[in-house]
Amino acid sequence: MKDGFRQSMAWLHTWSGLLVGWVLFAVFLTGTAAYLRPEISHWMRPEIAAATPGPRDAEVAVAAMQALAPNSPSWFISLPEPRDTSIRVFWRDPTAEGRGFRSAVLDAATGQPVAARDTLGGEFFYRFHFQLHYMSAFWGRWIVSICTMFMLVAIVSGIITHRRIFADFFTFRPAKGQRSWLDGHNLCAVLALPYHLMITYTGLVIFMLMTMPWGIERAYPNQRGAFNAEVFGNAPPRRPLGQPAPLVPIAPLVEQARQQWQGGALGRLQVSNPNDASATIQLIRDDAERLSYNPQSMTFSGATGALLSTRGEGGPAAETRGVMYGLHIGRFAGPLLRGLFVLAGLAGTVMVATGCVLWAVKQRQQAAKKGQPGFGTRLAEHLNVATIAGLPFAMAAFFWANRLLPQDMAQRGAWEVHVFFLAWGFCALHPLLRPRRQAWVEQFALGAAAFALLPVLNLLLTQRHLGASLVAGDWVRFWFDLGLLGCAAVLGFLAWKVARHPATASRTRVAAVPRPARATS
Amino acid sequence: MARPGAANASATQGKRPWPGAEARRVAAIVLRVLGGVGGGYGIAALSTMLLSTSLPMPKAEAVLTASMASFAIFAGAIVWAFAARSVARAWLGLAIPAALLALALLIPGWGA
Amino acid sequence: MIVLSFALACAGFAGLCLGMERHYEQVFRTRRIPPARRRLGVSAGWLLLALSLLPAVLQHGWGFGLVWWAGVLHAAALLLALTLTYAPRLVLAWAAAPVPALLLAALLPSL
Repeated sequence: MKDGFRQSMAWLHTWSGLLVGWVLFAVFLTGTAAYLRPEISHWMRPEIAAATPGPRDAEVAVAAMQALAPNSPSWFISLPEPRDTSIRVFWRDPTAEGRGFRSAVLDAATGQPVAARDTLGGEFFYRFHFQLHYMSAFWGRWIVSICTMFMLVAIVSGIITHRRIFADFFTFRPAKGQRSWLDGHNLCAVLALPYHLMITYTGLVIFMLMTMPWGIERAYPNQRGAFNAEVFGNAPPRRPLGQPAPLVPIAPLVEQARQQWQGGALGRLQVSNPNDASATIQLIRDDAERLSYNPQSMTFSGATGALLSTRGEGGPAAETRGVMYGLHIGRFAGPLLRGLFVLAGLAGTVMVATGCVLWAVKQRQQAAKKGQPGFGTRLAEHLNVATIAGLPFAMAAFFWANRLLPQDMAQRGAWEVHVFFLAWGFCALHPLLRPRRQAWVEQFALGAAAFALLPVLNLLLTQRHLGASLVAGDWVRFWFDLGLLGCAAVLGFLAWKVARHPATASRTRVAAVPRPARATS
Repeated sequence: MARPGAANASATQGKRPWPGAEARRVAAIVLRVLGGVGGGYGIAALSTMLLSTSLPMPKAEAVLTASMASFAIFAGAIVWAFAARSVARAWLGLAIPAALLALALLIPGWGA
Repeated sequence: MIVLSFALACAGFAGLCLGMERHYEQVFRTRRIPPARRRLGVSAGWLLLALSLLPAVLQHGWGFGLVWWAGVLHAAALLLALTLTYAPRLVLAWAAAPVPALLLAALLPSL
């Protein structure tokens, strides 16, 4: 019965992969882009000068917040780091619309709000890849989690059904039609299998308290707060006492924290009830220094400077979860290691893409023998080009919007995102008007042109073009511009490859293959 | 009812499929999906609940461990739902563990 | 050190694939692998793959070292697969890579 088992796993693999394949492609591609979240944000705010983090950043930040929001009950401050050299602040403001928060980007040297264009920056790709857009975070996260579960099933069934996983480990036979697509799909899947398993499973674990809350419900019925406190060590919020008390200077607290962490760097600050007697200042260690994403922190009284609590290592399960979360986010990775993560992420993206294309190619070949391709095949082909070629173009359009939209436009950040979806929408409609191969070639070519012209746009519209970045030593922007050209090259290569692809030759090859002998009955 | 994917073999042999064979094939698939996804999630949830309250470690740790393991259990159940030789076997293989887990949850020492 | 890890991984994968008839043929143009060579290829391959963990752990400790090692293995495997397809002879170069890498590691251990 082994063949039957393998066949059923092949069926399961095909459908668990295909039904959500296009969503998974988008998640993988934007997730890979999210590895470069700070770099993208830095590039998308050309007004901000590249700076080096200094020892006084915390003091500057706190002083700035005193000026910006002295009466806010909570300040959340992200300190500069080598990858993103500005101070990013959020604070609670009941008068603000939406979720009641305001945010600002501050210059690290002066604490003044940078007059940077309103943009989501890399945050958009990061958030899109786990909660999509134009829907509540709840629905977005549930949809992505369900698709991730599909992905896990696809991986497991794929491993089971792959007959010659070791023998075919390095096998890639190009220019052989369907066989090449399968080889490519297998290669990307098997060669980076540990990564795919890790990223999928850790992705599920990140939202497990939402998707699998039954353990908490059972063990802590109606006591979510108690569970959170035990695991995350968040001290319960203290009510403001209404007694004004100036915030203690932060420099000695920073020094104390650095000693506790044996030279570790400060990543974030969280201040509750500033300038009140019940104020607390939480110093959170830079999460790029450890595998585990669990924050290590020290909480001090804001009025007296006394140490209230320390959060170090949690229990083994908590640390395991922290490491899983940390592995997924990958913030601990330096440039080279992050490059390896990006490579693996791209392998995953190509794996999903080749899977979707393989199915369509196979269906079309079978249809060539029996007549017309069915609706499912044509739908899959349409979605393939709209997603695999369309999404990269949409990402380039997002960057174009960042450079072209007027600075003082209302809702500018939101409009950059609208442009992204408009471009993607165009790519979704375009295949209706063009023959199959033309659609692919045109969308890839459009994406290539869009990426290639971005550094030119930079030259024309901003002070932060390639040459200027080189002179100023702004390596993030320099390499980013080169990376854009690299994306253009890849998309251009793909356009060229598809244009060259001998479509008629594959049809004759299909005809030349003898029909499976009827004699098996 | 045979596993999905095996049906193609008979379709190409030129025999005329009797009416209802296609409907049965689709029904088998639907039943396996329902069992695998619904039953699988149920088993994962039940085992999370059971492990959260019975693992020999502090409660918060147990909850985290159980929750982290649940997805492997869920995936395993789905694979079983499609690997089992017949739909009946698939459902039995899901219903029995679910029932056992539910019963275990009722035992005072474990289920509290 | 990471360069050494990468070189060892490349050599390890090279050894393993040279132990497979299909890939031996791609590199050496004959299908039949002399049995001694095959055993050498496979055993040396696994050994080198295992050894490639050491420089990563030495430089970065166990936690980060394992992550680095996984990344290095992925990259080396991809490189070998592409080399076999598009420039099979280069596989022999990867097999010899640990030698210069060892030298580099001795001179510039931070790499």
